[in-house]
Amino acid sequence: MTHPGTSAASSHGAEDRIRLRPARREDLPHLVPLLLRLKRLNEEFDPLLKVRTDAEARAQAVLEADLENPQSVLLAAEGSGADHGKLVGIVRATVRERPFYTPEKEGVILDIYLLPLYRRHGVGEYLLEETTRRLAERGAGIVTAEFPTQNEIAARFYAKRGFRPITALHARTL
Amino acid sequence: MGDVARSSPPDAVDPSSAEAEANQTVELGRRAVRLARFYHGKFETVPSVPVRSLEDFAVWYTPGIAAVSEEIRQEPELSFELTGRWNTIAIVTDGSRVLGLGDIGPEAAMPVMEGKALLFRTLGGVNAVPLPVAVGSAEELVETVMRLAPAFGGINLEDIASPKCFHVLEELARRLPIPVWHDDQLGTAAATVAGLLNALTLTDRALGEVRTVLLGAGAANLVTARLLVTLGHDPHRLTVVDHKGILDADREDLDELMLRNRWKYKLALQTLGGGRRGSLSDALVDADVLIAASTPDPNTVKPEMVRSMRARPIVFALANPVPEIWPATAREAGAAIVATGRGDFPNQVNNSLVFPAVFRGVLDARASRIPDEIVLAAAKELARHAAERGLTPEHILPTMEEREVFPFVAAAVATEAVRLGIARRKFSREEFLAQARERMSRPAALSKALTDAGLIHPMPDEPRE
Repeated sequence: MTHPGTSAASSHGAEDRIRLRPARREDLPHLVPLLLRLKRLNEEFDPLLKVRTDAEARAQAVLEADLENPQSVLLAAEGSGADHGKLVGIVRATVRERPFYTPEKEGVILDIYLLPLYRRHGVGEYLLEETTRRLAERGAGIVTAEFPTQNEIAARFYAKRGFRPITALHARTL
Repeated sequence: MGDVARSSPPDAVDPSSAEAEANQTVELGRRAVRLARFYHGKFETVPSVPVRSLEDFAVWYTPGIAAVSEEIRQEPELSFELTGRWNTIAIVTDGSRVLGLGDIGPEAAMPVMEGKALLFRTLGGVNAVPLPVAVGSAEELVETVMRLAPAFGGINLEDIASPKCFHVLEELARRLPIPVWHDDQLGTAAATVAGLLNALTLTDRALGEVRTVLLGAGAANLVTARLLVTLGHDPHRLTVVDHKGILDADREDLDELMLRNRWKYKLALQTLGGGRRGSLSDALVDADVLIAASTPDPNTVKPEMVRSMRARPIVFALANPVPEIWPATAREAGAAIVATGRGDFPNQVNNSLVFPAVFRGVLDARASRIPDEIVLAAAKELARHAAERGLTPEHILPTMEEREVFPFVAAAVATEAVRLGIARRKFSREEFLAQARERMSRPAALSKALTDAGLIHPMPDEPRE
């Protein structure tokens, strides 16, 4: 999770800059580099998030699986104006069962990445709202977001929008 | 971009011979070590009050002095009136990027800081205290300077690695009520802008129309870019190039820059590579201006790159000790105006033209900070002064010999501080000018008196007159 935007302004206007739509198979060659940029950004935060050498091939497979999975949300952000049709961002999310807790279905935002030029101006807000709406349509009663603990920009972005940490993931290498 | 003391003397330089260059630097180094052994440092503290007998200490020290402290306790601002704070600054470094030596630590940075203090004193009449500090992080450096500040009227940050230096300057400027300056950012940028303004005039160009390439995205060029845009340069005609090529908005390392160097990140989004992609060669095609502040290698900028620029281009090759292209080579390739960081070529872009006068000005006006408006006021005054003496392709900036320029720059700085409403002492430009002249002439008089009296030893390796 990068910081797709920090503007507190309404998301109105964000749609003039980008348009979010469900990803199609032919988008994948353009979405793979965006997903890899996000994973390399995550690597900056923590050496335990070191990107594998075969990450590119893996990214392709992961996105293909997303397209097949009805529980998955895979969105492509298209530029507008001069950049019409250019893919400038990616959103990956999924709906998981919560067998022990209520609400019973959790919408998890796995990855959000936008090219630097398309950040701010309420674009992040717009991505979050659109993704949340689609997760709710799939029955999610709670929305969560995964990102590196050290990514304070993401933490601030979500905190401003009512998110708080509920589960911590601690790690050590073996 | 070097201080005057860091450049080579005018003789004995043969640009065609890198070996002669190197030999000369080695010889100057040997002499510096010999003299350091002889003089044991460049400063001692000399009282500025009469001390006739120990009885005088009843007022210079206890019991009388307690009343002075009491006054300052009731009105802290009086520390600028009743102590030497008004004219005393700290030269603070963590030793993390000293000259071309790199991260050599605070002890090893001391000789350089002493040299800088000598320049402040000689050219600006400012009492500068060299203060290398042992700190780990940027935050520690900020906190340390915060704690030192009550003793000083201003802070000069020196030789701090980029991008740490941006964070440190921003934080201190925001939190301290006294002027804070980082010469590698502001001084060099001010001198560069001054020279460029005159170079544009000489070649009939308008800043709002030119295409400019900045080679190197370190402390100086990031600020030069900011100042140029403030002055009306179109950011989309500004191309920044670093060791990875043109800094555009699609570059793979942009996310990393967002985290580690947000100043450079912002500039990438602001300029969008000036509409260009690729390498330095791609950037320079049809450019009007090149400002290189990168690596000391005369083959960094190739003659064919200069030839690909627009007719009569302006080339600033500011790396020290060796410019990115030799001036003669640049001129042969068509450059109309060439500037370097060295005093042995025409058009030296020298931050020593800037920092002594800027501090004289902000101290005399008792300014609370040094916003870009003040930096630009200094640059414009320098440019104006050079223009008054007559602009030629070999004279776009005052030389270090034109010492009369310093009080004028100081007065321009002080006057701008008053205009901006950040001066605690508000005088007319003429009054500031007279004050600066007087305060800047004192060190030479003092030094001459002490030398004539034999209290400062003549150079041991020079024949006595």
